[in-house]
Amino acid sequence: MTLSRTAAPVARGRRRRVLAYWPQYLAISPFYVLFAVFGLAPLLFSFYLAFQRWDGIGEMQFAGLDNFQYLIKDDVFWLSLWNTLLIWVMSTVPTLTLALVLAVLLHSVKRFKAFYRMAFFIPNITSTVAISIFFGALFATNYGLVNAGLEAVGLPEVAWLQNAWGIKIVIAVLTVWQWTGYNAIIYLAGLQTIPSDLYEQARIDGANAVQLFRHVTLPLLRPIILFTVVLSTIGGLQTFTEPKVLLGDTAGTGQSGLTMVFYFYRQAFSHNDYGYGAAIAVVVLLVVALFTILNWALVQRGQSERSR
Amino acid sequence: MTISRRRLLQAGLFTVATAAVGASAACGGDDESGSTGGDSKDLSLWYWSGGLSEKVVADVSTQFSDITFKATQVGGSFKDKLVTTITSRQFMPDITGIKGEDIAYFMGQAGQFLDLNELGAGDLKSQYLEWKWKQGSTPDGKLIGFPIDIGPTALFYRADIFKKAGLPSEVADVTAAMSTWDAFFDNGAKLKKALPGTFMVGEAVEVYDMAVGQSTKRYADADKKFIGDQEHIRRAWDLATKAVQLGISFKVASGGQDANAAWNQGTLPAKLGAAWVAGDIKSAAEKTSGNWRIAPMPDGPANQGGSFLSIPKSSGNPKKAFEIITWLLNADNQARGYTDAGLFPAAPAAYKMSALTSPDEFFGGQVTIDVLGAAAEKIPIAYESEYDSVLREPFAAELSNVETKGKDPEAAWNDAVSAAKKAGERVGVS
Repeated sequence: MTLSRTAAPVARGRRRRVLAYWPQYLAISPFYVLFAVFGLAPLLFSFYLAFQRWDGIGEMQFAGLDNFQYLIKDDVFWLSLWNTLLIWVMSTVPTLTLALVLAVLLHSVKRFKAFYRMAFFIPNITSTVAISIFFGALFATNYGLVNAGLEAVGLPEVAWLQNAWGIKIVIAVLTVWQWTGYNAIIYLAGLQTIPSDLYEQARIDGANAVQLFRHVTLPLLRPIILFTVVLSTIGGLQTFTEPKVLLGDTAGTGQSGLTMVFYFYRQAFSHNDYGYGAAIAVVVLLVVALFTILNWALVQRGQSERSR
Repeated sequence: MTISRRRLLQAGLFTVATAAVGASAACGGDDESGSTGGDSKDLSLWYWSGGLSEKVVADVSTQFSDITFKATQVGGSFKDKLVTTITSRQFMPDITGIKGEDIAYFMGQAGQFLDLNELGAGDLKSQYLEWKWKQGSTPDGKLIGFPIDIGPTALFYRADIFKKAGLPSEVADVTAAMSTWDAFFDNGAKLKKALPGTFMVGEAVEVYDMAVGQSTKRYADADKKFIGDQEHIRRAWDLATKAVQLGISFKVASGGQDANAAWNQGTLPAKLGAAWVAGDIKSAAEKTSGNWRIAPMPDGPANQGGSFLSIPKSSGNPKKAFEIITWLLNADNQARGYTDAGLFPAAPAAYKMSALTSPDEFFGGQVTIDVLGAAAEKIPIAYESEYDSVLREPFAAELSNVETKGKDPEAAWNDAVSAAKKAGERVGVS
């Protein structure tokens, strides 16, 4: 055995060494197998489909760039892109700001820590469909709790789900409610990694609470913030369940709840235009990638400037 | 050590390979039995919750004791799951339901299903409503979908509120007074005047869809020609926008908290809807029992919803499958479907059965079949294109702009037509 091993060429030896780890590879394979079947294969198929015309059952017809050419001139697509970006900004900025505030508060809490953490995390593990139905009732025009509250303090009722901004606000509020706790827990984990002697030193130098936050907490939390911004970008630009459940297939007044993913869903699964649906999905991927890179660059640049 | 590991790996690979070969062999076997027409003793049915009477489905096993029958309620998006299964050519049911809104799409995929006429459906044709039978048939006369139920539309209204507003409230009087859309709208204006904050129409698109359904044409004809800019659509559009301009629209989609509360409180005392809406009102506005009535829809009935049963071409035993379908959907069982699941029968013989002729206390003891049965037989035959859903969308979207944003109806119409034309060109309708 020793003989054959030395006689073998280097490459084979390397391969054999890789093979020698087969139990480890086997152990992690379920993820890769499942990912390949349910993630990678549909993804590649979508790319293929984006260049076809297909009604879901019959023969596919090669369409070249037709789907993309139509998409560029498709007003509804641009509307959905605009809606998506608006809803994303309207939900992500408050979510992350609130999450940071919550995390700082949580960090200084001395009692019932576990209770608070759990309480803030529960919205995130609640079914989005259930939350959407609940929010639909909450923001109902005539008999919703929100309008009842407005009326009680003498403000006029708002037809939340019947106007373009109302719809976006409801979706944004829903997202904020669902994701603030999740991000706060991540920030909290980040806060706990900041050594307390940094704060002590700053305090000795005479920094007040606001200065501590701005000059110690924020810079050291930057990698974590970057992480949450990227995650929120990826998630927020794919908003679908909320408008679908709240508004149904019409996507509300002036289609103002029509997000990109909703549009692609509607084209593919309601109108059986799978090729065009796939083309929209590919563009969604590009948009998400673009904004992720943009955000990453923005937050990164801030960091390097600061460290300079 | 190394050797034994490698051997293990080889053994493992071998096992996987054998399994794969075995599986593909099994699939091959499946296909064969499908193509030979088969006399399989195991038959399966796919439907959705509420799509058929569960009691009738359960009785199939006793009725057909020579086979093993397995019925599955498929949850989620039924059409998507059926399409996926057809595409994968695996695990196909021997009988499947098709929802009314998807039948036009599956007509375009008629090759995936057996022509039920070849199995003898022609003999039963006279027992079912003609327009429904046509809806389940391809233009060249193949019967793909066997009628389960239908959705004849009518005007549901609260007699107590109508009376309070000084409007006619007895069914006969409402029928006479609101036989046209114009008369209906006039009464809507009176209602609003007598009881401010009370609306006759739920939302404009409700009027629109009903009026389109009253026509014999929709958005595209059988030659894939766009006809959405023609008189029949324009009429529906004008009626819907008129309701908006008169201010008699509640501007809220039914099904939500607002509409349900308004039914209860009487601020929305009317609903244009199909027979199955009775179930919605009963569950959403239980306390108003006895106050509701059903009158014919202004200008005649339309149809909304109603499903079909089909036999995929891969069915293991088409003859038996057809026997099961015709038994499941005979007039007696259609009447049971109405009692158990609120499925309005597509076989008029059922309209004379006690399940349908008994008075309904929720509707003040009205014999509702008098109105709904008559509506069912008067529904116009229209060609439904598989592209109707994509062509309708711009009209619905623009209508909501008129209703909630105050967009000029004429500008909205022009935008809707040009958007529909553009969407049509994409799918080859021009």
